[in-house]
Amino acid sequence: MVSQPSNTRLRLRFAGIAAVAVLAVVSLVATACSKSSSSGSSGGTVKAAWIYVGPTNDGGWTQAHDNGRKFVATELGGKVKTTYKENVKEAEVAPVIEGLVKDGNTIIFATSYGYAEPMAAAAAKYPNVKFEQATGDLITAGKTTPSNYAEYWGAGEDTLYLSGVAAGRATKNNKIGIEAPFAIPEIIRHINAFVLGAQSVNPAATAKVVWTNDWFNPTAEKQAAESLVSAGVDVIFSHQDSPSAGEVAKANNLPWVGYDSDQSGAYSSVWLTTATYNWGPRYLSRINAVNDKTWKSDNYYGTIADGFTTLATFGTIVSADTKTLINAELTKAKNAGATSFGWYWGQSDRQDQSGAVKIKKGQTLSQKDLYEMSWFVKGVDGTLKN
Amino acid sequence: MRSTFSGFRLEPRSHLPRLINWTVPIGSFFAALFAGALLLLMTGQNPISVYQRILERAFLDAGSLSGTLVAATPLLFTGLCAAVAFRVGFFNIGGEGQFYVGAIFSSGIALALGRDAQVWIAIPAMIIAGALGGALWGAIPGFLRAYLRTNEIITSLMLNYIAGVISVYLIFESSSFWRDLEGTGKMFPKGKVIPPVAFWPEYGIGSLVVPFGFLLGIATAAWIAVLQRRTRFGYEMRVVGGAPTTARYAGMRPGRVIVAVAAVSGALAGLGGAASVGNFRHILDPKGMQQSGFGYAGIVVAALARLNPVAVIFVSIIIGGITNAGYALQGPDFPSGLVGILEGLILFCTLGGEVLMRYRVVRTRGVSSNVAGAQ
Repeated sequence: MVSQPSNTRLRLRFAGIAAVAVLAVVSLVATACSKSSSSGSSGGTVKAAWIYVGPTNDGGWTQAHDNGRKFVATELGGKVKTTYKENVKEAEVAPVIEGLVKDGNTIIFATSYGYAEPMAAAAAKYPNVKFEQATGDLITAGKTTPSNYAEYWGAGEDTLYLSGVAAGRATKNNKIGIEAPFAIPEIIRHINAFVLGAQSVNPAATAKVVWTNDWFNPTAEKQAAESLVSAGVDVIFSHQDSPSAGEVAKANNLPWVGYDSDQSGAYSSVWLTTATYNWGPRYLSRINAVNDKTWKSDNYYGTIADGFTTLATFGTIVSADTKTLINAELTKAKNAGATSFGWYWGQSDRQDQSGAVKIKKGQTLSQKDLYEMSWFVKGVDGTLKN
Repeated sequence: MRSTFSGFRLEPRSHLPRLINWTVPIGSFFAALFAGALLLLMTGQNPISVYQRILERAFLDAGSLSGTLVAATPLLFTGLCAAVAFRVGFFNIGGEGQFYVGAIFSSGIALALGRDAQVWIAIPAMIIAGALGGALWGAIPGFLRAYLRTNEIITSLMLNYIAGVISVYLIFESSSFWRDLEGTGKMFPKGKVIPPVAFWPEYGIGSLVVPFGFLLGIATAAWIAVLQRRTRFGYEMRVVGGAPTTARYAGMRPGRVIVAVAAVSGALAGLGGAASVGNFRHILDPKGMQQSGFGYAGIVVAALARLNPVAVIFVSIIIGGITNAGYALQGPDFPSGLVGILEGLILFCTLGGEVLMRYRVVRTRGVSSNVAGAQ
């Protein structure tokens, strides 16, 4: 039409050239570089990999897992070679698992709930690799999973029950404020255990719950804590991954309980205690099992007795009397045996918010019962939206 | 579009020498590799082996290339979504939300049809539902812009958050039709898995796995290219985008064209949501979708592809490959931040090269406001 080519044609031509160029580069390099294939474990060295949903320095969940990885590396030295992938989005985990298998890892630990299905699928595809899923529930729910797939988690609610004792002793107006991410069974059982702990020393204690809709969101966490303070609570329990609620507690001089990291140092004047997790021993035993060829699929539920969940250092405001009481319970739990958890659920009839008895006196709860808990104990002021 | 700096000024080039059109992007890409190499050397890495690993883990072996196509498929659709809209000057930032609505609609229809549906009904129904959902969500900012003169950048962005909250509500905060209330669904809120008949097929070529969604994306890109160049609607889009007043004099209705473009753009992102559910996730997964942010990444894809639908195909593969390889690089000695910087360098240099290609940098002497006086 015109002497100069139209813009559109130029663009089309660019696309064509780009395509050819990409193909040329790809095929050139493909023939040029020999494929470096990595072999699996040899000479007693296990290659182990971790997949994290957050950064390794998040000061909470992921950091605790990475401490477990470092513990293994220190304990086993040359017998293990560890690696990790951080900030892995749940929707994108499948190719990451593929890559780790290709790199020759023989055991892979995935530490976010949303990785479970792709992990089980990869286990079916790669029978020679062991797949370990933290906080998964496929096995508990009775789904058929490959024999090289295992799940592990633990009774954080037991140490939260003991933290609740400290909170029940600390409150003066009997109003405890709780902020938590989602109304899901895991969080519900943690809140219930905490409130039962508080009520065990202070039957009049009640709890007000607000949801942040996020595991880790410092801004939302701070706002939630402020809303609790203005609602008149005088103790805060923040079931969140950042210590933001501690700032609010400090500013208002209110005692607080955090979650999954020990904040006794930075917030000593207001800190009570909380549940923390110790993943290292689990990782060590599983990697040793791969090395000895004794690895078997399991559904591990860690306890106080086997050292999986521990109580953070008490803050200076916890009275000697309260410490003695909690430590006595802690010792009892430690002596109860490695597989026992949740001693308090059946100590008396437990009612839900409407007053209906949900747990009878003397009843014990199985892992499945705990995983399906979807009701609040009496004394909790908060709504379950479903 | 003239921007004035102190002492320098960007001036549009009156014509593009043919050579520059393709040497600049390639040159910028190599500039990025060079800058990246310096950074890698400074952090104690070997640039050659790092780049070799990127190539290997993005494109070279069939298994990795399959992973790259998985990453590329949603980007292909959201890239087309942005490319179509931006071409006519409709700045649809809402691909993200349109993607969510497409996923909600397509998973909904797959669940409603159930396990006894025929494959040839279930999959086309998902495609249509996904496109329809995205189109409806996308048409809202189009309508507001065309008839109420609101800024579509703001409205389409805000609608992303609304779509996100709706999808979270369906799974986390209600006993909705989409939510699984059995088995593991009792333990953690999650979407119902769609029936296996509605799983989109994958085609194996040797050990390379090509998802049906990716092929659908290529066909869609070709269709968009034809639509833009060979149809009356395409012509109207060009005129409305270039000169709205002229369009009105020519008897076109710019309002209608804008709404139509907004709907088509939204439909493309909605298809991406349908492909993501049908080919890969098989559930409505609000948190997973929000973590990934395919809609926003699509804008980058479209910009790198110069809004050309055919080029979007290649750019989505390249970006998908870089994402895929990025995870392979990471480890105790290679923090994810360094991966992010490398990826950012490549994007910055290639987009920067685009600017330098279209504009000349001119030195302004003395008072910048009076160019003629300086001569």
